[in-house]
Amino acid sequence: MSNKSSEVKTYYKGLGFCGFGMGSNSAEVDVKDGKVLRIRPMQFDKKNAKEEINPWKIEVRGKTFEPKMKTLLPPFSYIYKKRMHSKNRILYPLKRADWDPNGDRNTENRGESKFVQISWDEATDLIAGEIRRIHEQYGPYAILSQGDGHGETKAIHGPHGCQKNFLEMLGGSTTQARNADSWEGWYWGIKHFWGCEPIGQGLQKNMWWDVSNHTKMLLYWGCDPETTTWGWGGQNASRLCRWFKEIGIKSVFICPDLNYAASVWADKWIPVIPNTDAALQLAIMYLWITEDTYDKEYIATHAVGFEEMKQYVIGEEDGVAKTPEWASKICGVPTYTIKALARRWAKEATTICHCNGGSYIRSAYSSEPARLEGCLLGMQGLGKPGRGALKFIEFGQYGLHEYYPCPRSKVIPNVAGAYNGATYDISAQFLPKTLIPKAILGDWSVENPMTWYGVTSSGFPADDQFVEYQYPIEEGGSELHMIWTDTPCWTTCWNGGNNMIKALRSPKIEFILAQHPWMENDCLFADIILPVSSKFEQEDIACDVQSGAFNSLYYEGQCVEPLGEAKSDYECVCEIAKKLGVHEEYTKGMTYEDFIRRGFENSGCQTLMSYEEFRAKEICVVPTADNWEEVVPGFGDFANDPEGNPMTTPSGKLEFTSEALSEYFPDDEERPPHPKFIPFGKTHQESYLHPRSEKYPYLLESNHPRWRVHANMDDVTWLREIPTCKVRGRDGYMYEPVWINPADAKKEGIAQGDVVKLYNERGWVLGAAYVTERIMPRVIYQDHGARLDPIVAGESDRAGANNLICPTNTVSENCSGEVTSGYLIAIEKVDELELAKQYPEPFNRPYCPHSGQILASRVLEEETRKV
Amino acid sequence: MKVFVIDVENCNGCYACQLVCKDEHVENDWSPVAKPQPDTGHFWIKMTEKTHGQVPKVKLEYAAKGCMHCDKASCMQAAENDAVYKRPDGLVIIDPEKAQGQKQLVEACPYGAIYWNEELQIPQKCTGCAHLVDEGKEPRCVEACPHDCIQFGEESEFAGLIAKAEVMLPEVGTKPRVYYVNLPKLFVAGLVYDADRDEVIENAAVTLTCKITGKAIQVATDDFGDFWFKKLDAGNYDLTIAADGYKTYATSIVVNESLNAGDIALTAK
Repeated sequence: MSNKSSEVKTYYKGLGFCGFGMGSNSAEVDVKDGKVLRIRPMQFDKKNAKEEINPWKIEVRGKTFEPKMKTLLPPFSYIYKKRMHSKNRILYPLKRADWDPNGDRNTENRGESKFVQISWDEATDLIAGEIRRIHEQYGPYAILSQGDGHGETKAIHGPHGCQKNFLEMLGGSTTQARNADSWEGWYWGIKHFWGCEPIGQGLQKNMWWDVSNHTKMLLYWGCDPETTTWGWGGQNASRLCRWFKEIGIKSVFICPDLNYAASVWADKWIPVIPNTDAALQLAIMYLWITEDTYDKEYIATHAVGFEEMKQYVIGEEDGVAKTPEWASKICGVPTYTIKALARRWAKEATTICHCNGGSYIRSAYSSEPARLEGCLLGMQGLGKPGRGALKFIEFGQYGLHEYYPCPRSKVIPNVAGAYNGATYDISAQFLPKTLIPKAILGDWSVENPMTWYGVTSSGFPADDQFVEYQYPIEEGGSELHMIWTDTPCWTTCWNGGNNMIKALRSPKIEFILAQHPWMENDCLFADIILPVSSKFEQEDIACDVQSGAFNSLYYEGQCVEPLGEAKSDYECVCEIAKKLGVHEEYTKGMTYEDFIRRGFENSGCQTLMSYEEFRAKEICVVPTADNWEEVVPGFGDFANDPEGNPMTTPSGKLEFTSEALSEYFPDDEERPPHPKFIPFGKTHQESYLHPRSEKYPYLLESNHPRWRVHANMDDVTWLREIPTCKVRGRDGYMYEPVWINPADAKKEGIAQGDVVKLYNERGWVLGAAYVTERIMPRVIYQDHGARLDPIVAGESDRAGANNLICPTNTVSENCSGEVTSGYLIAIEKVDELELAKQYPEPFNRPYCPHSGQILASRVLEEETRKV
Repeated sequence: MKVFVIDVENCNGCYACQLVCKDEHVENDWSPVAKPQPDTGHFWIKMTEKTHGQVPKVKLEYAAKGCMHCDKASCMQAAENDAVYKRPDGLVIIDPEKAQGQKQLVEACPYGAIYWNEELQIPQKCTGCAHLVDEGKEPRCVEACPHDCIQFGEESEFAGLIAKAEVMLPEVGTKPRVYYVNLPKLFVAGLVYDADRDEVIENAAVTLTCKITGKAIQVATDDFGDFWFKKLDAGNYDLTIAADGYKTYATSIVVNESLNAGDIALTAK
């Protein structure tokens, strides 16, 4: 496929970051003379007449909303060639200089040792040797297979988790069960309120239609459709925010920071102290109960367990009435604003908006605000016109039309038939991702196992949360002795990175193998790193179900030759398979062509065209389904007929008091049978109400980052020039911005641009002050996911990777979700020039301010090369 | 003659315009229109941002700014050797060959839209993606903007918008051909409540009167007790709030920057 100028060839590429084959951000990539020339939006009507794809139209309140005939790409797509050519690319296999599998492994040096280049042959010899040895010595479960998103989205080429399938073939491995991250509160909490298996989040079908027609107020609760959506679908979410405003729906943003969407779309910003939403929610319930402004009839027919909840709210259970006065002191929202919000919500159809819930459901005890959200929606007739929960990302998740808020598409395509990455099934021995440091650092055995509840992977049913699992398992179980990881970013993305660093340095872990395109984050702690190619460097097949316009399936040609000696994740595994003599068994003789064909034939698009036509056109744009307006939106079926359309709860109703929790965890004070406000407890003390806040007087809000997707793209020069992305210190280093309110800045003696230290008992990270009215007083905000730049590995970090100092403890005693925001810290100004004297090596590594830490700082031979 | 019209009302500050310009021009040679842009430091179109107000009445103002493709461009005046020319379609181009060594063009531009390329020793700026326009395509920033904030086309197409538009720095007399619509200027906002009843007051009449012109604007508080006055010029104002059953509240405010007038309690009569 080429355009007018015959020298330029154009390819389709999906540049989204979900991973797991769930694509988005479809682009047209122009290639000339072997390099990427430019990246442009994909045009839906390039190969299809407009009528063929049956464009939808939402015509309400005198206005029209219809999709553009092109994808609306986020900045991340446009800059992506920079990522391919990053100074950080690993272009050949690397081995840690002081790791010798036949001698000293020096595990305590991981993170500080440098790397040397080795050949593919030597690398695969070492790897094959280690796998054989570990299997013989400890058994297959001694290897932890960590392969999960988020990062580049590929099908044939992984990632994430090609190694898992391979190891299963060799007898198994310990699966890292990816905790339902981003869904913590929904998974551990609201599933026990409304079920909604398998995902647990609010039903989405046709919600755009419902909100457009009937909703009068939108509560964007911890929701930033100008940020989180960028990795998952691009900027149609932004158009949607604008559309809702234009048709007169009041847009209220409830969040500690004036997030990027609030800053342009909010009609009202209600600042709320992190992780105190439960108090605000209870006060709203209190007002509805005492003023008799909730839908009593609906509760009578659609809910159970309301009476106990009511007793708690009005103060009969614990002697504390959950009044606006009580709540205001906790959450920081003025009493009169709480009342105004409650009154309007009771009067007018209101829908709550989320991307995935953000810090709101990813904090200590986040099961509770999630369940309380369900309670509030239930009390106002969830599922009646205009009343639901709206998600701005992950449309059509798991291929389910129930989770597709856009006008219904004929097909939700998938690439499962071509996909070689990890699937959601688990091996006999597994570990929740959130418990890996604990597993490694503890002395566990079959006699003294580590135990927890639930597989914890998203999609597992709620009653799995009552099943106890252990590590190691009785039958053939083993402690971990090897980790095989791809796209590794545990330390900067999960719960308590400094603890994980300690775990990675444990002598128990004899070998760490990583595969990744860039030298970043957990790669620093690996023993061998295999170089992985980027999206542009291989062919594949992709789907896009998140554009918010039309779904599509397309062939992704190879744009350029792989850089250096890089191979795709799948090819890395194949090389190792060759050394172990099982290549044919692993690949089953499938060529890439075979994968593409099988991917197409199982995609759903095989009902729309033949494979030959697909290869000729290179794309299938899926038409809108006929009569999409008739799809009953969201929870409408349940609202209309609860007996005929029950929820997947034990009672089939909305459970204000959970029957299952009452049965299995009746005495759990941290996730009680009915939801409560839990400021602190046995598992967490991250609250202003706790004495610990005297020493650490600020709550840190750590959001999904604006200029990264989690840990991706921290090294892109064009992004780092943007003021809210990095702030230059006096030492020329580009620090991660720390948002601080002017009143707090004055109190702490901090000025714009000052380098600051954020700390608690778990360690400290640096940043540079961005003094702004976009953050409420008493709250500090720093994005999560900065690329590690350890000062003292396991203690301190220059780059601002605040996941290093977030709690290691999970959501609560029986809930293994991560807690990565809304925790206590102190802040102080530091002198970066003095720190450089105190820590000369980390502060004087080879560094490029435009792109950050560079490969030369970690690889021995590269040191002498010009940066 | 082609012009740019930039409507900032719905600019979401995504920076796509600034970034696609780099995608198009860094390491890509579009001679004779432009040589490659350096990797960093140039912003041929630049996203600008300003935070307005104080917690919780805060908004962001975003506007893309770059070369204004002026009719009487200062760079054309300051150039030697006919190094800068205005095309029939209105786009102003710096000839990358003829402009060798002409660093004076950087300072000549009152909009700061010209950047020096140290490696190539030439001044550079936005070309309006002339090389794409000549192929019947859109400038990259126009294509990338999710809200169609940046438009490019025949002057006559945009007559209505141009009539209510502003230009940047009209006083320097360069006759810029990039028109801006819906610049937000400043706001004054606040919340009105009854401290005794501890309730917001809806439908209070809030009046803002400019002390110099005497012009008065009135709005009613909404059901959150909020009021907003938008698109104001800087100045001194009288603010009065009246509601049935309450004493009228009056104060003077100085508006140099957008202002949250605060949560204002009315006292009962």
